[in-house]
Amino acid sequence: MSKDKDGNTAALGRELDAWLRGDHSRRAVLRQVLAASGYAALGGTLSAGVTQAAVELASPDTPLGRVQAAAVRASTEGPQNGSAYRAVQAARKFKGVTLGMTYEAGLQALEPRNFSGPLWQQLTGMSYNVVELSHPDQYAKPIAEHIAQSGAYDTLDIEPAWIPSLADGGVIAPIDDFVAKYMNMADLEDYHPLYKFLPTYKGKRWGFFDDGDQLALYYRRDVFEDSKLRAAYQAKFNRALRVPQGWDEYAETAQFITDQLAPKVYGAVHFRKAGSPGNQYGFMQEYRANGGVLFDGAMRAQIAGEAGVRTMRQMLAANKGSVPGNDDLDAVAAWVAWLQGKAAMLYSWPPTGRMSENYSQRDKAVNFVPHSAIAGNVGYAVMPGGNGEMASGYVKALAADSANPEAAYLFMQWVTSPPVSLVRVMLPYTLRDPYRMSHYNSPDYRALWPASKEYLSTLAEAANGGVVDMIMPGWQDYALSLDQMCTSVWAGTDPHAALTKAAAEWDAITDKIGVDSQRAAYQQFLKLPGSAANHTIATMGLAVHAN
Amino acid sequence: MTPLAPSVFLPTGARGRTAGGGRAAWLERRIGLLLVAPAVLLILALSVYPLLYSLWVSFVNYDFLVPGHAFVGLRNFASVIADPIARSSLATTVVLSAIDVAMEFALGLGLALAMARPFAGRGLVTSVLIVPLFISPVIVGQFWALLLQRPFGPTDYVLGILLGQPVTINWLSGFPWNFLALILADVWQWTPFMFVILSAGLTAIPDEPYEAAEIDGVNGWQAFRYITLPQLVPMILLAVTFRLLDAIKLFDVIFMMTGGGPGTSTYTASFFLYELGFQHFHLSEATAGSWLFLLLTAAAVTFLVRRLLRAEAAQ
Repeated sequence: MSKDKDGNTAALGRELDAWLRGDHSRRAVLRQVLAASGYAALGGTLSAGVTQAAVELASPDTPLGRVQAAAVRASTEGPQNGSAYRAVQAARKFKGVTLGMTYEAGLQALEPRNFSGPLWQQLTGMSYNVVELSHPDQYAKPIAEHIAQSGAYDTLDIEPAWIPSLADGGVIAPIDDFVAKYMNMADLEDYHPLYKFLPTYKGKRWGFFDDGDQLALYYRRDVFEDSKLRAAYQAKFNRALRVPQGWDEYAETAQFITDQLAPKVYGAVHFRKAGSPGNQYGFMQEYRANGGVLFDGAMRAQIAGEAGVRTMRQMLAANKGSVPGNDDLDAVAAWVAWLQGKAAMLYSWPPTGRMSENYSQRDKAVNFVPHSAIAGNVGYAVMPGGNGEMASGYVKALAADSANPEAAYLFMQWVTSPPVSLVRVMLPYTLRDPYRMSHYNSPDYRALWPASKEYLSTLAEAANGGVVDMIMPGWQDYALSLDQMCTSVWAGTDPHAALTKAAAEWDAITDKIGVDSQRAAYQQFLKLPGSAANHTIATMGLAVHAN
Repeated sequence: MTPLAPSVFLPTGARGRTAGGGRAAWLERRIGLLLVAPAVLLILALSVYPLLYSLWVSFVNYDFLVPGHAFVGLRNFASVIADPIARSSLATTVVLSAIDVAMEFALGLGLALAMARPFAGRGLVTSVLIVPLFISPVIVGQFWALLLQRPFGPTDYVLGILLGQPVTINWLSGFPWNFLALILADVWQWTPFMFVILSAGLTAIPDEPYEAAEIDGVNGWQAFRYITLPQLVPMILLAVTFRLLDAIKLFDVIFMMTGGGPGTSTYTASFFLYELGFQHFHLSEATAGSWLFLLLTAAAVTFLVRRLLRAEAAQ
C-alpha cells in the first residue's frame, strides 16, 4: 500500500500539470489526488471513493480551475504547515464521522453540495449533511436544537452579530484550544482587518469569518458619463455630475437621473421590503455616517435624535428617486431591476459585481436573475459617506452540542483556509464574498472579467471604512424594530414618530435583557473596528489596500 | 369513563373457564385498562404533558436572552397584554377573520346556489372551483405575492391597460391595499370550502317544501328566505365555525405576502406569537400569549358550537 501511495504521490504532480494543460479529465486528476493521499481508496477500489459524491471542478484552463487545483494541492501536498493541509491530515482519524452543517438555503448551500462537501469527504472519509435553512432560521433553528439538546448540527453559518446571543446562550463553543493546536497563525493574519476581529467575543474566538458581506455602491458608468446628462446636471446644480459622495447627494443624484431618464432608467433601486433586510442595514450605515450613536451612557436608545430623523429623510428622498415599487422589492428583485438596466445606482452585497458582468449567470443555478444588460458599464465605489455596512456576513461557528467538535473544527479550518476559501468565493453561483487579502490580490480572481481588479480593490477599500452590525445580545430584536420602523415610514408614518416608537422598543429590549449587561456588551462592541463612523479600520490607521 | 367488562372480549365458552384462574382472572380484570393504557399514555405524552409544561413555561422566565427559569408569576401575561403590538395583532386577527369569513360565506353561498341545478359541465366547473382548496397556503401566498408585487407583478400593468392610465398601487406595502391583498388571497383559497359545505347542505333539503311553496305561489326570494335559509342554518353554522377556527390562525399568507409589514400592521395573533417565540425566543411570553389566545378562541368557539347545537336541535 505504501509503495502504491508513493507511486501515486509521484504521479500526482504530473497529473495535475496534465490537468492544467487540459490533457486529462478533471475526474481522473481527482482520482489521482485521492489515491496519492490514500484517503478514498476504500477496499482497494479507488473509483468507489470517487463516486461517493461528485466534486464539480472547472476546466483547468480557467481561473477557477487553477485555484481549484491549487486548493487540492494545498490540501494534499501542502505546504505542510498550511491550515488546509494540517486540517486534512488531522481529520483522517475521524473517517466515518458525519458532520451536520447549516447553510443558508439556496446558493449558499450549493457550494458545500457541489464543492467543499464532497471534496472534504473524499479527502478525509468523513461524511457531511448540508442542512439548508432560511436566513432567519440560521439563528432560530440552532437555538431550538440546542434547547432540545438534539446535537443535530456540528458547524453553523451564523452572522457575527449573533455571536453574543449564541455564545451567552451556550449554542456555540469557543475554538481557541483547537486554533492553538491546529491553525497556522499566518492564515489568520490573511483576513482583512475588519473581518479579523469579528468572530471574537469576551476574549474568545467563536469561529472563522467566512463571508465578506460588505455593501458597496455599484453605478452605471454609461449613465454617469453621458454627455447630455452631465450638461443638464451642470446647468441645474452648477457642478459636475459625479458618483455621490454623501447621502444627501445620493438622493439628489438619484432624483435627478429619474427626472431626466425615467421610465427608461431610474436613479437608484433599493431592497426595502419588510424583512428583506435592506432597511436595517440601510438605516444603520446612514445613521452612523450621519454621526449617530446608538445608546447613551444610561443605555437609552438615541436613534430618535437628529441623526435618526436626518437618516430617515435621506432614505425617503432616495426612495422617491428610485424604481417604482422600490418599497416592495427584496434583494433579488432589486438585482433584477439593476441587471435589466432600470437603475443607475444600486448599493448591495458583492455578488452584484459578479452578476453585473454575467460571471454568475454562466451557472444554471443563477438563472433566476436575468442576463445582465449592463455588463462592461458598471463602476464600483465605496458607499456615499464612506461608511458602508458590513451587512450580516457569515462566521463559521462550532455548535456546542456537536458530538464531534474536533472533527467539526477541522472542517471549519480547512474550508476557510486561504486556498479553499478562494475557490468558494470564486464559484460562479456563490454568494460567499471575498474577505481575505489573498482573495483581493488573487491574480486568478482578477482575471474573471476586465474590471474585476477594480471590483476587488473597491471591496477592500469599502471594508476599510465599513461599519458593522450591532454585535451584542438582542441584535435580532433591535434589527426587527428598525425594519418595522422603516416600513411604517415608507407606508406614511411620520419619521420622528416612528423613530420615537422604535427607540422605546429598543429601550424595552435593553431593559428586558438587562441594562447593566447590555451596557457592558455595548462597551465591548464599541471597541470593535467598524462600530462607529469615527472608529473604522481606516480611522484606526489599520487600512489595507489590494495590490 | 366506564371501564369495559373484560369478559366481553372473550369467546362465550372461554368466559367460564378463565373465571377461576389467578393470572387469567387478573388479566380479565385488567384487560380493559391494558387496552386503553397505550392510548392514554400517548395522549398524556403528546398532549397533556406539553400542555402542562407550557403552563409552567408561562409562569417562569424562559427566554433565550435571559438566563435561568425563575418564577415570575403573571408577569409574562401582563407583558403580552401590555404589548401594543399584541393588541393590534389581535385586532387585525378579528378584523381579517371576520371579513374573510363573511366574504367567503357570501361568495360560497352564491356559488352553491348557482350550481344547485344541473347544467352541462357542472362537474368540471365544480372541480375547477375547488382546486384552490388543495393548494398549500404558503404556495397561495407566494402566488399572490408574485402576482401583486411591484414593479414585476402583472397586476398593476393589467389594471393600467384596462383603465387606460398608469396604476401604481403598492399592493403588499401600502394601506389599505395590503389588507385587500391578504383578503383576496384568503378568499380565493377558502371560498371553495364554503361552497362545498353549503352545496352539501342544499342537496340535503327535500323537494317537498319547494313543491308546496310552488303550489302556494311563493316567489324565488320567498322560497330562499323561508325554506332554503332556515334549512341551511346548521350547515351555515358548521361551515362558519370551521372556517372561523381556521381563519383566526391566519399565518402562512401573511408570512409570504407582507411579512407582517409595513411596520407591524399586518401582524395577526399567530404571526405575532411566531415572531415572539420562534424568531426571538422570548418563549415564556410567547407561551403566555398563546394561552391568552387559546382562552379567547375557546370562548368564541364555545359560543358558536352552542349556536350550532341549538340550531340542530331546532331542526
